[in-house]
Amino acid sequence: MVRSTDVPTPVPAGDTELWSGLEEWAGTPEFRDMLHREFPEDATAWTDPVSRRTFLTLAGATAALAGVGCSPRMASREKIYPYTRQPAEMTPGLPLFFATGFTLNGITTGVLAKSREGRPIKLEGNPTHPGSLGGIDSVAQASLLNLYDPDRSRQILNKKNNPTAWEAMVGELKSAVGRMKADGKAIRILTETINSPTMGAVLTEFERTYPTAKVVQWEPAGRDNVREGAKLAFGEPVNIIYDFTKALRVVALDSDFLVSDRSSTRYARDFNQLRRTHLKEGDRVPAENELNRLYAVESMLTATGAVADHRLPIRSADVEGFARALAAAVGLTLPGSAPTVSADQQKWVAAIAKDLQAYKGKSAVIAGDHQSPAVHAIAHAINGALGNVGATVLVTAPIEVRPSSPAADLKTLVAEMNAGSVGALFILGGNPIYTAPTDLKFADALGRVGIKVHLGSHQDETAVVCDWHVNEAHFLETWNDGRAYDGTVSICQPLIAPLFGGRSGIELLSALLSETAELAPREIVKNYWRKNWPANGGSVGGFDAGWQLALRDGVIPGTAAARVDKQPAAAGIPAYVAPSPSMEVNFRADPTVFDGRYANNGWLQELPKQITKLTWDNAIIISPKTAADKNIGEERHGTRGPRIESTGGGEHGRTLADVAELTVNGRTIKGAVWIQPGHADNSVTVHLGYGRERCGKVGKGTGFNAYPLRGSEAPWIAVGGDLKKVDGDYILASTQAHWNMEGRRPVRRATRDEFAKNYAEYVKDPHKTALFAKVPPVAAPEWKSIDENVPGSPNEWKGASAEEHEKKRHAGHAHSHDHDHKKEDGKKEEEHSDEDKRLIPLTMVPDTNKHEARRWAMAIDLTTCIGCSACLAACVAENNIPVVGKKEVTRGREMHWIRVDRYYEGTDPNDAANLVTHFQPVPCQQCEKAPCEVVCPVAATIHSYDGLNDMVYNRCVGTRYCSNNCPYKVRRFNFLTFSDWKTDTYKLMRNPEVTVRERGVMEKCTYCVQRIRGAEIEAERQGREIRDGEILTACQQACPADAIVFGNLSDPKSRVNTWKSQPTNYGLLAELNTMPRTTYLAAVRNPNPELVRA
Amino acid sequence: MAQVFHRSMNSLARLTVFGLPMLFAGSVLGGTIIYRSGYITGQKEVVDQPVPFSHKHHTGELGIDCRYCHTGVETSSFAGIPPTKTCMNCHQQMWAGSEMLGVVRESYKLDQSIPWERVHILPRYVYFNHSIHIAKGVGCYSCHGEVDKMNLTHQAKPLLMEWCLKCHRDPAAHLRPKEEVFSMTWRPEQMKNPATGEPYTQRELGTELMEKHKVRGPLTLTSCSMCHR
Repeated sequence: MVRSTDVPTPVPAGDTELWSGLEEWAGTPEFRDMLHREFPEDATAWTDPVSRRTFLTLAGATAALAGVGCSPRMASREKIYPYTRQPAEMTPGLPLFFATGFTLNGITTGVLAKSREGRPIKLEGNPTHPGSLGGIDSVAQASLLNLYDPDRSRQILNKKNNPTAWEAMVGELKSAVGRMKADGKAIRILTETINSPTMGAVLTEFERTYPTAKVVQWEPAGRDNVREGAKLAFGEPVNIIYDFTKALRVVALDSDFLVSDRSSTRYARDFNQLRRTHLKEGDRVPAENELNRLYAVESMLTATGAVADHRLPIRSADVEGFARALAAAVGLTLPGSAPTVSADQQKWVAAIAKDLQAYKGKSAVIAGDHQSPAVHAIAHAINGALGNVGATVLVTAPIEVRPSSPAADLKTLVAEMNAGSVGALFILGGNPIYTAPTDLKFADALGRVGIKVHLGSHQDETAVVCDWHVNEAHFLETWNDGRAYDGTVSICQPLIAPLFGGRSGIELLSALLSETAELAPREIVKNYWRKNWPANGGSVGGFDAGWQLALRDGVIPGTAAARVDKQPAAAGIPAYVAPSPSMEVNFRADPTVFDGRYANNGWLQELPKQITKLTWDNAIIISPKTAADKNIGEERHGTRGPRIESTGGGEHGRTLADVAELTVNGRTIKGAVWIQPGHADNSVTVHLGYGRERCGKVGKGTGFNAYPLRGSEAPWIAVGGDLKKVDGDYILASTQAHWNMEGRRPVRRATRDEFAKNYAEYVKDPHKTALFAKVPPVAAPEWKSIDENVPGSPNEWKGASAEEHEKKRHAGHAHSHDHDHKKEDGKKEEEHSDEDKRLIPLTMVPDTNKHEARRWAMAIDLTTCIGCSACLAACVAENNIPVVGKKEVTRGREMHWIRVDRYYEGTDPNDAANLVTHFQPVPCQQCEKAPCEVVCPVAATIHSYDGLNDMVYNRCVGTRYCSNNCPYKVRRFNFLTFSDWKTDTYKLMRNPEVTVRERGVMEKCTYCVQRIRGAEIEAERQGREIRDGEILTACQQACPADAIVFGNLSDPKSRVNTWKSQPTNYGLLAELNTMPRTTYLAAVRNPNPELVRA
Repeated sequence: MAQVFHRSMNSLARLTVFGLPMLFAGSVLGGTIIYRSGYITGQKEVVDQPVPFSHKHHTGELGIDCRYCHTGVETSSFAGIPPTKTCMNCHQQMWAGSEMLGVVRESYKLDQSIPWERVHILPRYVYFNHSIHIAKGVGCYSCHGEVDKMNLTHQAKPLLMEWCLKCHRDPAAHLRPKEEVFSMTWRPEQMKNPATGEPYTQRELGTELMEKHKVRGPLTLTSCSMCHR
């Protein structure tokens, strides 16, 4: 599958090889029109009607203000406030890193928090933490912004909404709970999933002191089904973890284990170790059994499904039937009658079962968090039958401090509340008014509770109906601890004193206990561990030394949950009840704002969701076929897609979505519809977390609230739904069509077999066969015309015959392979001049010094990229990238320096089963012959000595010529003052090493030049060379899949050179002769020959 | 036909033809001069400080090393302004009752920073790093001037980009041996060139030190992202 690159020609509808969305597939005139504008939003700015009066006012003001602010003198001197006593470890100007932990959904992931002058400015993965291994997901990364959220609750409020002092509140609460203890009135504590051992101990102590107290855990996107499934299979609520470094065949049953689980960061790293297509020892393409193979069976297209080698789209409700058929095919007998699956599904079942059986003990079946306990139990049973349990599937003791059944417990709590027997309810974190199952009518029940105390970071929906609201400390402001996906404990230490004096749940409860009332949170956590320090967790120095070490490393050694030596039993699995064939509704936590708690986080709101690329909204997601059934969207070329707005003075690219009413179990919500290729038919997915009423300025008015549709009877998958189009439409801000590559075959891809075949041919005759992915600098069809048309070809070629041209071309071509492929052939390199290496020696761009000792470059592996967008979030945090808001995103003005393009491959968007999805992160390619540089009139973008395409903000005058001339569309322009210069808290958050950009300035990826220069200064000072891997760009550092590598091209042993010497390496649009420093390793899949459609 | 213009118009025309370009040239020249003047750059402007700290007394007369107070200069981008504790190390004993030091004692007692006025102000898009300049043998003197003679500190150099570039284009003109970086009195003539036996000229010594300190060339040092990012 040699793919030459050719000049893009307008693509007729339905003939696009890769398409970014249904608009592109259908090739609508509006879409093409939009593409032909570099900045489709330009014209808009001038369509706002400006009255003569306004014009005159502005003109007058302009004249009056001319000269004001023009004084070149400094308006005022700055002040420097030094310490009075400087901490020993602190040097102003140098960052400090602290290991701490980020907890969400009952799982803590280790992070390293970077602190500058006492302010946390960036979160990075903690390489020593088992749940991170150095990677970090986008939600954890963006949680930093919550710390500086100006809408955070800033004080304790009493019943009358008056600010109250902590001591006064504690006094009142103490007497209240004391009274209840005496009267025997119930005290209830409603928390999120507890994985903090200290919190567990505090709660136990609380229950001991106040015998009428009881703890209820509630998590709207919790892992109840995982726990119940484990109980069914193993008889107790064990914790199941997977070792994907040994799993060569993986079946994901409606599971997005690579991206959206809290253990995904680790799983993505492990999983991709068996996915790399790098040549093995002896220049051999990895064999089929050396690469893993992933089968995904799911309804909504997830990132995991997108990177799967095979994906079967079926309703989530039908996954159980599929799982049972699979169990039967691997020889398991489950209770009850086996379901009958369709012939097509049976084919899949047979192929997967055969594959799994060939890899006994080296495969894994994993069920999604929202699948029923039965599916989990079946998956465990299959793993048991295949001998995977104990090998790739590891059973450990539970990691929750108090394993419980949240859904049932919450129901009991509401019943108690309704009965009026609850005297006091402490809601520690969480937002049950917004998230509780709608049929429980939590708000009504809460009205019957005596004293309601809410601890939360915002004055949210729950806070306003409670008597007391206590502002909660951010996790970077207080002491805590938490267990990782495998049980390993991290001490979560604060980096900053609470900005607004917030308190933690541990603090609040401890204050009501006599023993710990006076203790600072640090002492509470430390005292707990002093008593419970693991025997093998300390160092020689005893507890104190061990504690220091644990703080430094971010983990307490030896605290991983104990292995449980148990095999699953199938006997407990309930008999099969076939689901109704009616439309199903899937509830999922949102990929960015999660269960709604991050609704006010601009970084996450603007982070395009992995698959839909939607920002600032959720949607009712359906397949094109379902859309046709329900008459939603516009019919074009046999498929349904959204409308594209073409009115409004040139404003294009806004997705005009239909609005529909979604009904299930007698409840109805209304929302915009997103038509998603690859989604299972007759199935609807809605994401929770939007439509918040009280969350702050940022999240206000985004999306619709899906919780009112969600009952306790079917929290994840509800069958019997109905979708009805209603009048009206809604503008969705999806970035999928922005910065479009116009079908220039950006993603090179092949199956493993194709790769092996092409590589073998190349090895036989490198001169004749173009390599699998590597392209000659200019593709063959272009060569002739360039030769004829380029005036002043270099002298040595003048007058040469066509054959000689051809020879020269091959010489250069072969050489460029040699150069990349066989590094030891250094001599040969010297013999050739620079010109030989490329086919168009004529260029306006001067050569960069290729003998320079440092030449920075990047390679991105498209095989292992899982599209999770952690790179994007990391880039935003590192480079002070502003949030622009929904309106500006619809104008294509989002500022992200790296975008993750998502392409569909397939000839019919209706054919979900044959849809292949690819991800491609695109940062600035740092071209050696950068087209942007030659057009800048003020030299604001020019090359640095080490090959970086520098962007000099203070020189930029905003002509935007550079962006026009950039073939990769990676430059971003500050059309307005996007950076928030006013909000005080944001000033604390910014990376002081990176300029905050003003309006009218172009910006783009710099390869994190501040990190390069930092490392350079360090190395130069020590008089040594920069070590390979010493500089990690923010995107590379965050990447859970380790799909990005950065380093020095001039160092033959550098990792980036190893990657770039792979035969799958190619440059994006390399035919343009831009010589990009960022290259890609082609996407190679390892499909099962039995399932490949001929 | 009568003359349209009066005779005197001839001289006016001459004045216009020659005067306008001169006015233009003059304003360009004037602008340039004003732009580079201390009025704009803040050069030589003495800044009032909350405490009238004298570098002349502490460095010049007492001979306290720069690094006693500016502790970050060898490791960090920021040389560092000393914490009040550093002042109090001595002034708890010496001049403990001095009126001038009231602000310092107050700061120490109340644990509140002394609000020093910044003297050397670079634009926010400039990322200057002290440590690398020290490591490569650029003396404090080269940028900060004769600090040992300053009663109240002022900015000795214009700190314009062209001034930075002068050295980045030709570091040899300013380099000194690493052990002399903090000296205020060092001159290249004080050292003898072992090759010739004559006193060193800055050019000779600088060229040697470029090699010795592995100072990178002008092409590297004038890359935009060296200072702007």
